[in-house]
Amino acid sequence: MESLVVLIPALPLAGFILTGLFGRRLDKEAHWLAVGVVVVSWLISMVVVVAALSGRLGDAGLSIKLWEWIPAGKAFHVDVGFTVDNLTAVLLIVVTTIGMLVHVYSIGYMAHDPGYWRFFAYLNLFMFSMLVLVLASSFLVVFVAWELVGLSSYLLIGFWYGRRSAALAAKKAFIVNRVGDVGFALGIMAIFVNTGTFEIRESIEKLTAAGAVLTVPLPVIALLVFAGAMGKSAQFPLHVWLPDAMEGPTPVSALIHAATMVNAGVYLVARTNLLFAHAPDAMVVVAAIGIFTAILAASIALTQTDIKRVLAYSTLSQLGYMFAALGVGAWAAAIFHLMSHGFFKGLLFLDSGSVIHAVDGEQDMRLMGGLSRKIPITYGTMLIGSVAISGIPPLAGFFSKDEILASAFKNGFLWVWLVGFIVAGLTAFYMFRLMGLTFWGPSRVDRQVEPHIHESPPVMTGPLIVLAIPSVFLGLLIGFPPESGLIHQWLEPVFTDGLEVLHRPEAAFNVFGIDGALVLSSVLIAAVGIAVAWRLFGVELPRLSREPDPERVRALTARAPFLYRASLNKWWFDDLYDLLFIRVGGRVAAFLWWFDRVIVDGTVNQIGIETQRAGRLLRQVQTGRVQNYALGIALGLLVMAGSYLVITAR
Amino acid sequence: MTIPEVIPIVNVRWDDILFLILATVMIGSALLVVILRDIIRCGLAMMVCFGALAGIYVIAGAPLVAATQVLVYIGAISVLVLFAIMLTQTKAAPARLVFQTQAVPAALAAVVLAIIIALAVGSTDWGAAGTRVRTATDALAKVLFQQYVLPFEIVSVLLLAAVIGGVFLAKRDEGEPL
Amino acid sequence: MTNSLDAYLILSGLLFAIGTFGFLARRNAISMLMSIELMLNGVNLAIVAFGSFIDRLRPNASVIALLVIAVAAAEATVGLAIVIAIFRNRRTPLVDEYDSMRQ
Repeated sequence: MESLVVLIPALPLAGFILTGLFGRRLDKEAHWLAVGVVVVSWLISMVVVVAALSGRLGDAGLSIKLWEWIPAGKAFHVDVGFTVDNLTAVLLIVVTTIGMLVHVYSIGYMAHDPGYWRFFAYLNLFMFSMLVLVLASSFLVVFVAWELVGLSSYLLIGFWYGRRSAALAAKKAFIVNRVGDVGFALGIMAIFVNTGTFEIRESIEKLTAAGAVLTVPLPVIALLVFAGAMGKSAQFPLHVWLPDAMEGPTPVSALIHAATMVNAGVYLVARTNLLFAHAPDAMVVVAAIGIFTAILAASIALTQTDIKRVLAYSTLSQLGYMFAALGVGAWAAAIFHLMSHGFFKGLLFLDSGSVIHAVDGEQDMRLMGGLSRKIPITYGTMLIGSVAISGIPPLAGFFSKDEILASAFKNGFLWVWLVGFIVAGLTAFYMFRLMGLTFWGPSRVDRQVEPHIHESPPVMTGPLIVLAIPSVFLGLLIGFPPESGLIHQWLEPVFTDGLEVLHRPEAAFNVFGIDGALVLSSVLIAAVGIAVAWRLFGVELPRLSREPDPERVRALTARAPFLYRASLNKWWFDDLYDLLFIRVGGRVAAFLWWFDRVIVDGTVNQIGIETQRAGRLLRQVQTGRVQNYALGIALGLLVMAGSYLVITAR
Repeated sequence: MTIPEVIPIVNVRWDDILFLILATVMIGSALLVVILRDIIRCGLAMMVCFGALAGIYVIAGAPLVAATQVLVYIGAISVLVLFAIMLTQTKAAPARLVFQTQAVPAALAAVVLAIIIALAVGSTDWGAAGTRVRTATDALAKVLFQQYVLPFEIVSVLLLAAVIGGVFLAKRDEGEPL
Repeated sequence: MTNSLDAYLILSGLLFAIGTFGFLARRNAISMLMSIELMLNGVNLAIVAFGSFIDRLRPNASVIALLVIAVAAAEATVGLAIVIAIFRNRRTPLVDEYDSMRQ
């Protein structure tokens, strides 16, 4: 079992190295190696997952120590090791499954790209990093994997490095991530200072032990760790990099920015749930930021015209949901949503890639329309994904989202519930707006491209169909009955301590009480959102058809011009950051450069100049004439004799 | 007939007057040595100075030293100096400046030096006897050839070395002008 | 006056001072040497005066004075020889023209 676990990340690592070394020669066949290792890794993961979730690895999971990384005496000791418990198992399912499907999909999507082998090498590198991240048992290893994931993201966002916008987006992603990482690093340091260890389990035990004396208060540590999560999972105010990250190829968006990397933050907070449970103030902060991000992103998604941007903001919004769940203490719900969201968002992104592939690279929805008949598989799977994300039962999104809202409401976080409720409506609306603009209504596709619209090859549609299945059934499979489904059973050992601290009673799900009312309300608001979207953007379903109404849309936007512009401009956050950090920061940097040049260098240079000047002056004493020197001696003698006389005369 | 101690009319002692005269001559000629433009005249003034100094040695009661002064300084060193002057004459000599640019500070230094020495001398109690006593030549001879015989010999070697060195340094190479 | 040590010493100091002035102020190298001789003589006078007035020093002072004269002679010899040698090279007896060590 232990060697199996080690193989899970080791295979993609080998894939990366070998594809990197030999990719150029393999060229069009490079995918066999890269995809092969990921498939095998997936198979092994499934074996391990089954072992973990069936309880064979015990409640605390399997701990493997790989090697001693930094043996710097008793005070500082770092081991590299893996821990496989149920939380890891759930994450493994998401990461390896979606990773494998994206790899297969990329064979078709990137078929014509000159950097084919490079893409697979980077994808493998990413898989390796992400797997190490979820497997790691020590904060330091998590941090290393954290950075590696960021690096892979950078490489993949800027994959088409010849494009300036892509290069800039990659930089932006990395830098904004870094800001969060500073917090994370400080958090890790604080943890080490207070517990003397980097091991996750050990340090959290020590930190939350009764009567522990800490130099850094627990809420601060928790918030520092959350800062890292904010960066990686693009929560406000570090959310600005995710939409720009759409510059990367669509498989990258699907894998990294929907299903795996952005979930790293959620995983981190879930992993350290006991820490947060002991710091309720920090949890409120997490919930606030999460739900605020949710509504912020949803509001922006309403007006975006690029199909991938809509999905990107949607991801931001759903991540906000997950953090809100973590913040109110609904950890299992958050992980459940992570899982279902991974599947249907991955599906939606791959679908969008298929659409873009069909219309020859066009991403602007205003130049799409009427594609439902022309690319049926893509259309069908995307419809499934949209229904899932809108929270319509019995698809996956309904179960996970509803649990989050119910937990918020029942644990007293009414404001979280309210905002989440509104966001649910908005989500349904913008997703079906997307469907309307892309698949229904008259075709606005470019005349020259229109005849060539074709469905994607099976290597691309295959993963779409595969992902559609859990999008439909996952909720029923593991989320039902609510609060006690399989997912809760699996995650119980991970979260039970934290829940105890929070004093959450185990209440049964009461269909005819508050729970039922909440379910009904969320379904209703989703339905309202969908209805409005159909009214404005049209629909073409069997037995339901409506023409899009652009006039109405224009009228509506005309009635709220400020809101429309704010939404379109992403609430001007990018501009704000540009002003603050680029311009003002640039001025500060220019001043400091001036300071360094003129004052610091100037001082040093001046010392040299003054020394030279003094030398020039003193040189004049060296006349070369003995009598001048003799006069000097005589004067010196006189001074000495004179002063001696004066002193002794006193 | 012995010379009376005091000159009759002015009631001043002989040796005092003699001392004064000799002192004046000495200082005067010393000043001439450092002031005169023509070096030959300087050299001659130097000889006069040495002569006066020898006289003062006599008054001070060191006749042997006086005799040596005359013999060596006037008879040898001064002649040597005059020879050297003649060997280093240039045509343009009289026309040039006598003193350096630093002559004024030098004069100042000299004056201050004199004053300091005078002050130092005046403020010290030497514990000296009231009158001067002549040095007996046999006592001197005893000390010279018993206590100081080593320095005596060394000085003779030194003189030998100096002579050889001087000859060698001043030797004219083949074909060089004088 | 002749019976006061101070008079001789002041006289010697005066002679020394004059010698110093000559050494520092004259341009001709031989003048400098002559000034040195004056300085030496001033010192000699002081030594002899001490010998005359202080019993303990009586014969020794004269011996020292004699040795000083001898050494002065040696030094004058060598000094003048050097001046002549330099003169052969530089064709000038003026010391402020020997300034090849000048900065």
